[in-house]
Amino acid sequence: MEKSKSKFVGVRITDEQASILSRLQKDSRLSKTEILIKGLTFLDEFYSLGLDRKPLSDELGALEKEAFHYAAELRRVRKREEAISEMVQELHNIDEIVDKYHCDKSALIQILLEIQAKTYWLPKHTLMWVSERLNVPMSQIRQITTFYKAFHLKPRGKHLVRVCLGTACHVRGGPRILEHTERALGIKASETTEDMKFTLESVNCLGCCALGPVIVVDGDYHGRISSSQVEKILSSYT
Amino acid sequence: MSTMTMKIDGKPVKAEEGMTVFQAARNAGIGIPSLCYNEKLEPFGACRFCMIEVTKNRKTKLVASCCYPAEDGLVVKTNSERILKIRKVILELLLPLAPSGPLPDLAKKYGADRSRFPLEKGEEITNCTLCGRCVRYCAEVKKLNAIGFVGRGVNRRVELMPEIGNECITCRECYGRDVCESGRFVVIAEEFPFLQYAYRGR
Amino acid sequence: MTKLESSSDLEKLRKQIVSKRDPKRLCITVCSGTGCQASGCEKVSAAFQEELKNQKLSDKVEVRRTGCHGFCEKGPIVILHPEEICYLQVKPKDASEVVSQTLKEGKIIDRLLYTDPTTGKRIAHESDIPFYKNQKRLILDNNRKIDPKNIDDYIALNGYSALAKALSGISPEQVLEEVKKANLRGRGGAGFPAGRKWETTRNAPGEIKYVIVNCDEGDPGAYMDRSLMEGNPHLVIEGLIIGAYAIGSHEGFIYVRQEYPLAVENTELSIKQAEEYGLLGKNILGSGFDFKITIHRGAGAFVSGESSALMSAIEGKVGEPRPKYVHSSVKGVWDRPSNLNNVETWATVPFIINNGADWFTSIGTEGSKGTKIFSLVGKVSNTGLVEVSMGMTLRDIIEKIGGGIPNGKKFKAVQTGGPSGGCIPEKLLDFPVDFDELSKAGSMMGSGGMIVMDEDTCMVDTAKYFANFLADESCGKCVPCREGLKQICRKLGAISNGKGTEDDIKDLEDLAEVLRDASLCSLGQTAANPVLSTIRHFRDEYEAHIRGACPAKVCKSLVTYYIDPEKCLACGLCLKNCSVGAISGKKGIIHIIDQEKCIKCDTCFDVCPEKFNAVTKISGEPVPKAVPQGTEIKKKKR
Repeated sequence: MEKSKSKFVGVRITDEQASILSRLQKDSRLSKTEILIKGLTFLDEFYSLGLDRKPLSDELGALEKEAFHYAAELRRVRKREEAISEMVQELHNIDEIVDKYHCDKSALIQILLEIQAKTYWLPKHTLMWVSERLNVPMSQIRQITTFYKAFHLKPRGKHLVRVCLGTACHVRGGPRILEHTERALGIKASETTEDMKFTLESVNCLGCCALGPVIVVDGDYHGRISSSQVEKILSSYT
Repeated sequence: MSTMTMKIDGKPVKAEEGMTVFQAARNAGIGIPSLCYNEKLEPFGACRFCMIEVTKNRKTKLVASCCYPAEDGLVVKTNSERILKIRKVILELLLPLAPSGPLPDLAKKYGADRSRFPLEKGEEITNCTLCGRCVRYCAEVKKLNAIGFVGRGVNRRVELMPEIGNECITCRECYGRDVCESGRFVVIAEEFPFLQYAYRGR
Repeated sequence: MTKLESSSDLEKLRKQIVSKRDPKRLCITVCSGTGCQASGCEKVSAAFQEELKNQKLSDKVEVRRTGCHGFCEKGPIVILHPEEICYLQVKPKDASEVVSQTLKEGKIIDRLLYTDPTTGKRIAHESDIPFYKNQKRLILDNNRKIDPKNIDDYIALNGYSALAKALSGISPEQVLEEVKKANLRGRGGAGFPAGRKWETTRNAPGEIKYVIVNCDEGDPGAYMDRSLMEGNPHLVIEGLIIGAYAIGSHEGFIYVRQEYPLAVENTELSIKQAEEYGLLGKNILGSGFDFKITIHRGAGAFVSGESSALMSAIEGKVGEPRPKYVHSSVKGVWDRPSNLNNVETWATVPFIINNGADWFTSIGTEGSKGTKIFSLVGKVSNTGLVEVSMGMTLRDIIEKIGGGIPNGKKFKAVQTGGPSGGCIPEKLLDFPVDFDELSKAGSMMGSGGMIVMDEDTCMVDTAKYFANFLADESCGKCVPCREGLKQICRKLGAISNGKGTEDDIKDLEDLAEVLRDASLCSLGQTAANPVLSTIRHFRDEYEAHIRGACPAKVCKSLVTYYIDPEKCLACGLCLKNCSVGAISGKKGIIHIIDQEKCIKCDTCFDVCPEKFNAVTKISGEPVPKAVPQGTEIKKKKR
């Protein structure tokens, strides 16, 4: 396993905290990320017992803050321990995926794609964790996740609606279908509806050019559609 | 190290193996202009201002001199009409976005002071040409990666990573005019909330 | 699966598989490419399986899900073997009829057959359908016969025999010579001689070399590579291993764009199955040659398909092109010699090894040998994947194979080469499909997208579409592309809104020149081609827009929707479907569009029944004054 960075991204810790942390590492022979996960699990237990205790290191605090922010972004009122335990589970899942690729830095894009396949978007704590495990600077992860269209850094709706705007679909009226869908859902492309039911996106060619214009909802392809069919298709998704 | 001889604008220029045409020209006192070159950093090739015409085996092509390796017998032109037009249009494109810094003087020199491409409604002056020197300096010289590019195409911009934390040691070398010619980076950094906290903390 | 230790083992296996397959056995193949998936082929396959179970025929009849046939317009496509009766646009509810009538009693169901639009004749066999008859399906043919999830299907059809031939007795240099002699030019767009690229990589200093399959196919409207990668991944893999042997590489990458999940799935499975048979891995077929393949997924960026950007992405960095002037064949991934070729290029290699370079050079033209797959889409009657010999004229492809323009409309242009290519007008349609000839016509072969446009397509809108696409996909690193494309989009937007001037055309030409000369990569360098070719061949449309008219009646700001009071019979369809309530009227009363409210969404034009044809689009002419509200419709005299 790769040696993780000596200082966690996002926080300055005092020298006293740093020495406590390195003593912990030596005594327990665990890596820093393993200690962080243990710390979070304990925090989770503390809170569920009704105890309130200041985090051992500011690094835990950074992750804790992210957990609450994450829960808020999902617009759910969450008890502290629930938000943390959900995040711990996600961090375990990330560890599994990173280990599958043997912590190989060149597999960064593949790892992020696999993580997102499970969670539908990439919350900040996910990126921080990947940066830690792979020893890759946060600036590189941020550049990659904002460069490629496949990565989503905001929460996504339950159903993903994609309208094809490839050349063949364009020639057959694709843009009008997009406009109609935007009106029907009340949002613009790359936005999510208020009730978190639909996320709308435009795509540059799905490869079904003979069936243009095409809309894909989740995995269902709808070809040769006209504007009047859009509402009917959308209403069939709960 | 073998030495090569090229002809740049009719003048014979010697170059060592591994040099680029840009470096060889600079050494010989021929200044090819550039908006993204910095001798402490790897060539980036983003501004396209240093384009030159090279002829070899009777074939001519346009290349970026900061990246093109020097070759024996190369014939180089740094100021042909095609090149002057390229520089003029690049300045016309950048000037409305970056009206302070080195661009206005260059624009006068290349006849680009009246740009055909004004800003549209809602478009702001950024004073940033995305030359990337700040990003590259922090990555290659300081090896800290506290500054990075974000986004793609016209949405590309320079950002201080939100979690720079320990990655930025506030050396402020990115403020230098040799890194950020327009002085824009100083503004980005000084406004960044985390750094405000950091200065107060010290 | 037992590992094959030699080429004779492979032959034995092949004979074994073939002997177990009765050529007279009844088989129903259902095309399962992404196009037919979109048309519901999964439900059709399931319906057939259910029907066969009900009729207790499951062990007598096989249902096989095959790769893409290419005739996507008419999917789902079902073929009944061994007679090869071809049924089109089959629905799940047709399954019982097909099984009872055709399978059991040999009766053909006419309504499911292809009908020739000119003669009205019904055609029962796939090979007689004009769409297929005029093609030369070399590479695509096996797609419809094999199940891509089953390697035995591929082996049964002589799969991996070229690899066996190469590894047992032919030296790598001889393989390289054969490919060079065949003059195979890259099918990814540039048409660079593959043999020469292989040679440069082979001779470059360094022990470790890489071979790469580029399946990033970003050109919108092109899906040839998707079909091959989904429908016959083993063909591409075989070609890759042969190439690796010739070059001296022991590691390969297949870069597939993330938008092709089925291609990723089928390729992953194929690699696993090939490894199990020992066709990948160590000591392939006992030859001592080792080779392994890793799949790399893209993440949604057209520019990452550019070869230096793709190599950056494989390294885990952001997929931006690199401004290096040393070929990637010498310094590529991790600065090691890397040979990158398109999917179709690799897929052609096994045929060259099996049949010889002389056979290959007998097909095609002087400068462009072999066949090429195109995706013929847009305003054409038969859309789908088309494979033809190089040298066939564009006119023949569009008319003989494509069946011409539907709905009686007139042809206007065909766009080839994707966003890097140009539009070819009617007067140049007799140009043959050939790398050099198409460049002469002002376009390029490109990866194979061929988008047909008719009189209802606006060329300014088309140029605007491509410029916006490229601006969206530009990595933004270099100034000419990032800022130049932005300005091109703005100028084209202004022209299509009727706010353009003659100066704008001059500015577009200047920007185009700088883009071509100074951009960092070929995305920027060719970005201005659509604009330049449309200005060159359709300048009159640009000038019309500057004067305030869109001849094709597409550009919204220049079009008014108007209901002809002479034709309106108040059926109410337009009123019901108008999403902004801009149409007034009722039964017996002429419907009128309120121009203040109209958003020009085209819905009313779309729903007005053809027999009335009352909704019209007006551009560049004065709009007649609306009749007074409440005017009665003109009743037809009986």
